[in-house]
Amino acid sequence: MSESFEPPSRRNWLLWSLNTGIAATAAAVFYPVVRFLWPRPATVSGAQEMAAPFRVNQLPNAEGNPFNFGGKPCLVVLSADGAKRLARGEPLRTDDVRAFNAICSHVDCTVQYRPEKGDIFCNCHDGVYDLNGRNVSGPPPRPLEAYKVTLRGEPGQEEIIVSRST
Amino acid sequence: MSHAAHEDTPQGPRLPQRAWAFLFERLGLEVAQSLAAKKTVPIHRCAPFYFLGGMALFLFGVQIVTGILLSLYYKPSPDQAFESVRAIMTEVEYGWLIRSVHSWSANLLVGALFLHLLTTYMMRAYRPPREFTWFTGIALLALFMAFGFSGYLLPWNQLAFFASAVGTKIAGSVPVVGEKLLLLARGGENVTGDTLARFYALHVVVFPLVTFALLGVHLFLVQQHGMSIPDREARRHGGEEKVRSMPFVPHFLLRDMVGWYLALGLLAALAALFPWELGEKAEPFGSAPEGIKPEWYFLFMFQALKQLPPHVLGIEGEVVGVLFFAAVGLAVLAIPFLDVGERSRRVLNYCAVPWVAFIIVMTAWGWFPDHLRLSVLLGTGLSLGMLVLTFPFLDRGGPARRLVNVLGAVAVFIFIAVTAWELLV
Amino acid sequence: MRSLLRIILAAMLPLATISWARAQQEEETKPAAQGANEVEPLPEEYSCMFCHGREGTLAESDDTKHLVVTEEDLTRDIHWQKGLRCHDCHGGNPVLDAYVDHRDDPDFLGRVIASPADIAKSCGHCHSDLVFMRRFAPSSRTDQEAEYRTSGHGQRLETAREEHAKALEQFKEKGGEGEPPVFEAPHVATCVSCHGRHGILAVDDQNSPVYPTHVAETCATCHADKDLMAGLAFGDPPRPLGHDQYARWRESVHGKAMLDKGDLSAPTCNDCHGNHGAMPPGVDSVANACGTCHGKVAKLFAETAMKHKFEEQGLPGCAQCHGNHQTLTPTDEMLGMEKGGVCAECHKNKQYGATLAGAETARAMRSGLERLKREISEAEDKVEEAERLGMEVRGPRFDLRQAVDALTNARSMIHSFAAAPVEEALNEGLRVTAEVNERAASALAEHTSRRVWLAASLVPIGIVIVLLLLYIRTLPIPTK
Repeated sequence: MSESFEPPSRRNWLLWSLNTGIAATAAAVFYPVVRFLWPRPATVSGAQEMAAPFRVNQLPNAEGNPFNFGGKPCLVVLSADGAKRLARGEPLRTDDVRAFNAICSHVDCTVQYRPEKGDIFCNCHDGVYDLNGRNVSGPPPRPLEAYKVTLRGEPGQEEIIVSRST
Repeated sequence: MSHAAHEDTPQGPRLPQRAWAFLFERLGLEVAQSLAAKKTVPIHRCAPFYFLGGMALFLFGVQIVTGILLSLYYKPSPDQAFESVRAIMTEVEYGWLIRSVHSWSANLLVGALFLHLLTTYMMRAYRPPREFTWFTGIALLALFMAFGFSGYLLPWNQLAFFASAVGTKIAGSVPVVGEKLLLLARGGENVTGDTLARFYALHVVVFPLVTFALLGVHLFLVQQHGMSIPDREARRHGGEEKVRSMPFVPHFLLRDMVGWYLALGLLAALAALFPWELGEKAEPFGSAPEGIKPEWYFLFMFQALKQLPPHVLGIEGEVVGVLFFAAVGLAVLAIPFLDVGERSRRVLNYCAVPWVAFIIVMTAWGWFPDHLRLSVLLGTGLSLGMLVLTFPFLDRGGPARRLVNVLGAVAVFIFIAVTAWELLV
Repeated sequence: MRSLLRIILAAMLPLATISWARAQQEEETKPAAQGANEVEPLPEEYSCMFCHGREGTLAESDDTKHLVVTEEDLTRDIHWQKGLRCHDCHGGNPVLDAYVDHRDDPDFLGRVIASPADIAKSCGHCHSDLVFMRRFAPSSRTDQEAEYRTSGHGQRLETAREEHAKALEQFKEKGGEGEPPVFEAPHVATCVSCHGRHGILAVDDQNSPVYPTHVAETCATCHADKDLMAGLAFGDPPRPLGHDQYARWRESVHGKAMLDKGDLSAPTCNDCHGNHGAMPPGVDSVANACGTCHGKVAKLFAETAMKHKFEEQGLPGCAQCHGNHQTLTPTDEMLGMEKGGVCAECHKNKQYGATLAGAETARAMRSGLERLKREISEAEDKVEEAERLGMEVRGPRFDLRQAVDALTNARSMIHSFAAAPVEEALNEGLRVTAEVNERAASALAEHTSRRVWLAASLVPIGIVIVLLLLYIRTLPIPTK
């Protein structure tokens, strides 16, 4: 705040607005940089590993199953033992929850989990896979690709971490 | 900023002044201040070319900042590189901006360096005592082109992968040391994850360190010797001492800043309007896609090498080409020793013209390999543009201007002829 | 010469028997099954081998060479490995000192294989005996002989036998002078044609001629032979058998799956024609044969009016449009009334009672498919463009799969030969593509928002540049 009695010189005003302008552009540069630096929630990553958008206690009829795993649909199923243990409220063991690449080996349709029949079904040509991903009936020539599953968190409502190698 | 505009208030100096004084006393800033105050920039017809060095420096700064930011998200392994760049482009906030700025700025930087080279060459700024400024400058140019080459591979897309394979192969065709050079560059027989790791380390650690060292020397020498004044300008003003100069701070620096802000705006526009492509993920075992080419600053060499016959006088054509360009590079490095007198000076100056034209036409042709006519048009157009730009800096009525007139006429003629041919045939 | 040999043999018999008996005692402990590649040396005193072995008497003369059986043939045979020996199939007594001439041995005579017609009975002696087979392979079937009798091959043998019996009766009635009519077996496949005679490998042995990958070749040994198949016909009205089935199957999607992709579950000859009871499926059962694997479309087809029409007209169901042996991957071009459309073959000229309404349905289905394909392709292009510009499009791209699934589903639903189910399936897909288009458009809009950002940020930059220039002008002009 100038107490001088001279009228503010042109240079004065210019310098002031210049400084403000430079500060404004610096902020305009700084802002995207800060947003860039701030870590983001893990989204659909190139994904060698991600958590399913539902937890164990939402199985077997979870919404969002199959879900997008690195651009490919991933189906999560409960094994027969796993379904029993879940129903009884017992802790789940490894291999109770399984995850597969949900692309049918016949003509690439997306398969679905049928917990009431205990199988995996492809609606396009009635192909059937068992809960090990093995093709048991209909046209599919090969089993489903299996992913590794890790359960993490509070027993009873664990997160389902699905991962694959390369 | 030590300007008279900020007057002290009756209560004493304002806050900015007090802060400055605080730092000044403690950090020994009077050295810096005196250097800055002493530094002057001569004013003459060719003075605008002095901006190019600072422009390159600014763009390098942009590269450092955006490069550091990118390195926070980029993962240098073959399975993750492409995906991480994709994540940067699509998921990270403003990632597309940082990445596109980095890529565009790299190209602008090399362009600025080429122009800086050309203008210092034409102004003969390498005359004694500035030989080492020239040497470090050439080394820096080579270094920045190496920066570009190593950075090109990092996105690990098809284009990058095969361009790097071809580039390292050409390096491998150097006689005697070629094979070892290839193994060293690739980290093995083929381009693999080892190559990626190697290139990344070079790009992010080794080259920057060497650049800081060389740049430090380069800038120190510039500071030491001051800005060089071209002979002709000196003559015109009646001697070097008679040439007026402006203080670097604030006059030249503020003008520099105008240029820097223009560059910033240009980069923002390029990043938003022409975002850098992601490409397709590299498939090392697939066949090379059509139309791989290196970055534009290698294009003229690449295109020239393609034109050579398989064998020249019993030696492989490629080897001859590589050796030729290496020889030219060495010649450019040794220019201060080649420019010894009036005649050599003339020869060197006139050599520059066809050389620049060659580079422009070859680059255009490399960019549009199937459209020779289009590239000739582009080449002559750009050459014409360059000639027009140099016009104001040449003496009226002098031999240089006459030459430029002739060349300009030739370029215009070629341009019109090829346009007519393109349209009518 | 022969009698001299017999005298010598007779003289050696006692010695041979004693040492053989001793050797037997040692060998008693050896397990019955041998490794497939080991050639177990036969006990020299095993009587069959004296004549029929490689060093045996029959090997010397050209006209008896064909009766020689080598050790390799025997020891890799699955029967040999299970402990069965020559006498178990052919009868007779292998013990040397109990040697009886074949022509006089009733045990042997009862099992003689005089002609191909006797082979099935000979094999069936054990293979149709459930109790016997249970000892060796409890889950194996025992109805092969019965199946064989119903097959084309078995029936031809049966017909020939009946004719011979009739001819023999006539001969006897006429007084029985001269040569009785000889039974000439027709050249048909019997057990040994496919399984081999000695050296029979287990069916799951990869070298077996009836291993899934070899079945078609084995059938083709006869069925691809032009001369053998000449003049042969089947069915009512009779149609020539032809010899192109193997070549056609080899080119088909099933042949390629089996032999090029190594998919053992792909159908080969026996999967559609039956194993031992091999016959071409009748017109009304082609769909069932195909439906063993292609359940969904067969089910759809079975509920259509087309199925009955086809049967009425004697058209072979699925094979009418898809071919029987040379079934190729179906394409969209096959649907509709355009060139290459199988529907047009009947519906264009109202052949076989085909209707024009049907032709309309065909057209409608095809145009619906083409529409969805177009929409999918457009949506894909939009997504690609958005991605190229650096937008996040993984979500829409993933969802686009559903549209592709709907397209595949619609292609199955074609077999209901009605427009409505196909349309329903297509609409699913169109819904998804519409949604994806919207999201791609919004991604592109985001791209536009970047331009807005650009414009916004260029303003302060522009202002600063202008201010800088103004400020520079106010600086004192340097004099030195």
